[in-house]
Amino acid sequence: MQLPLTYVLSFSALLFGIGLYGALTLQNAIRILMCIEIMLNAVNVNLIAFSRYLSPLQPAGQAFVIFVMTVAAAEVAVGLAIILMIARRRDTIDIDRMNLLKW
Amino acid sequence: MEFRLIAPELILAGLGLSLVTLGAVVKKNSRALAVVGVVGSLAALAVVLANFGLTQDLFSNQLRHDAYASFFKVVFLVILILLFTGSAQYVRDRRMPAGEFYALTTLATLGGFLMAGSLDLITIFLGLELLSIASYALAGLLKGDPRSQEASIKFFLVGALTTAVILFGISLLYGLAGTTSLTGIAAAVAGLSSAEFPLLAAAGLFLLAGLGVKIAAVPFHMWAPDTYDGAPTPVSAFLITASEAAAFAVLLRLFAVALPSLAERWQLILGLMALVTMTYGNVTAILQTRTKRMLAYSAIAQAGYVLVGLAVASPSGVSAVLYYVLVYALMTVGAFTVVLLLAGESLGEEIADFNGLSRRSPLVALMVTILMLSLIGIPPTAGFFGKLLLYRAAVDSGMVWLGLATVLNGVVSVPYYYRIVRNMYLEQGTTTAALTPTVPIAIVLILAVGGTLLLGIVPEPLARVVAAISLTP
Repeated sequence: MQLPLTYVLSFSALLFGIGLYGALTLQNAIRILMCIEIMLNAVNVNLIAFSRYLSPLQPAGQAFVIFVMTVAAAEVAVGLAIILMIARRRDTIDIDRMNLLKW
Repeated sequence: MEFRLIAPELILAGLGLSLVTLGAVVKKNSRALAVVGVVGSLAALAVVLANFGLTQDLFSNQLRHDAYASFFKVVFLVILILLFTGSAQYVRDRRMPAGEFYALTTLATLGGFLMAGSLDLITIFLGLELLSIASYALAGLLKGDPRSQEASIKFFLVGALTTAVILFGISLLYGLAGTTSLTGIAAAVAGLSSAEFPLLAAAGLFLLAGLGVKIAAVPFHMWAPDTYDGAPTPVSAFLITASEAAAFAVLLRLFAVALPSLAERWQLILGLMALVTMTYGNVTAILQTRTKRMLAYSAIAQAGYVLVGLAVASPSGVSAVLYYVLVYALMTVGAFTVVLLLAGESLGEEIADFNGLSRRSPLVALMVTILMLSLIGIPPTAGFFGKLLLYRAAVDSGMVWLGLATVLNGVVSVPYYYRIVRNMYLEQGTTTAALTPTVPIAIVLILAVGGTLLLGIVPEPLARVVAAISLTP
């Protein structure tokens, strides 16, 4: 017996919502980054589910997931470098305190 | 054949990798790197122009070589060549890591190539990320400057969030269509039942929101003024021109090729977005006192004009978008080059730094005036003709209100562009010492201003080229 596709999709939508909520409300840059990773995982769940349930013979979705994970790793590497650069200079990675640029 | 058609991409990839290596070897000599960058980009431009008329699907339909993609590649390379030429002095003065700057800009351009030259969501996503990740690092290249750091982190967090949103939209679209190819999606979407429509609408909205961030359309623009203001000047110019052009290339392809069956629905959304974006950008730009921030809001307004062509979604709208993207790139790179020139004397950050420029260098002042006239859209500049094409496309397809909004916004934008001209001619500057541009900056200014004038006075040749370009395979 297989889990219905709707369950999997609801799960990924929930995951995406949690990540989005966190990314929009949290202040700490690292935490925001983690929330964005949760959103990306929601995407991965979606892609795998669609690929497995709808077109199991053409696993384009599963190949896509590999790309998403690789790119996410590259993105995090650059992001952590930027956060580190700021932490060294300011001793804080709170995005509320980054207000030099304002009109 | 396949390798001949992707030769520009291969050249850029090789150029980017060799620049980063060279940068580690010749740390002091940023001019040598700029020369290598310009020569490499010129080679890529020559190949793109030689292949311009060819149409072919490459590598199992992952890439598509056609006139539409070639046109955008020409735009990217023109931007890259002008920026490389004009920025050597700035890179040296600000002690920017030269190898990283030239290499990352080249690789970001490669990302733009993939975005414009693909009809497959996976490749489009990879191109988008190549462009974006390189841009995050570029925005923070002035490592000691807190403004640059702040620009970088804001850009990164918004960009990463955007990536997740775009991907979620892509995953829904994939789920509905069972394929990642845009033409396959078009075929699958046409046969969808009405029960599946909400999911399709959600996918479209996720993609629109995500790409809306990339083109800095209102209400997704909050990051743009901060990033464009704080990032190093050549990087701001690159982001405003090349990065936005790439996002437009994808947006147009995505909506016109994959989702034409939704045309009447997204036309209205895009039209309203265009209206709000240009009005907001123009009105807010009037309030600015910092040059780059003003140019950032001006960029938001200009993105609104381009959105008009997208909303129209007719062949004439597509040609108008292509024409305007090229013209806008020339005008913006020209304006930012003047800021680079003033930055050589630690000026140019404030609009007041333009005071008395006509007495310091009448020729530069005249060039700035031409660029500003073109940004407003006054004949005989290219900006005028570009807006005329957009206006005509809007009116021809029955969206008269959008055409009128474009014209009225041209009027709204007069005060802030005019202020720079007035400052140059009527105000007293802090110094009257003659200002002589360095040779590379002079070359860039002549090319940008000359191009703006030429495309305004003799627009027909380019207009014919863009009229012949179509989106659909």
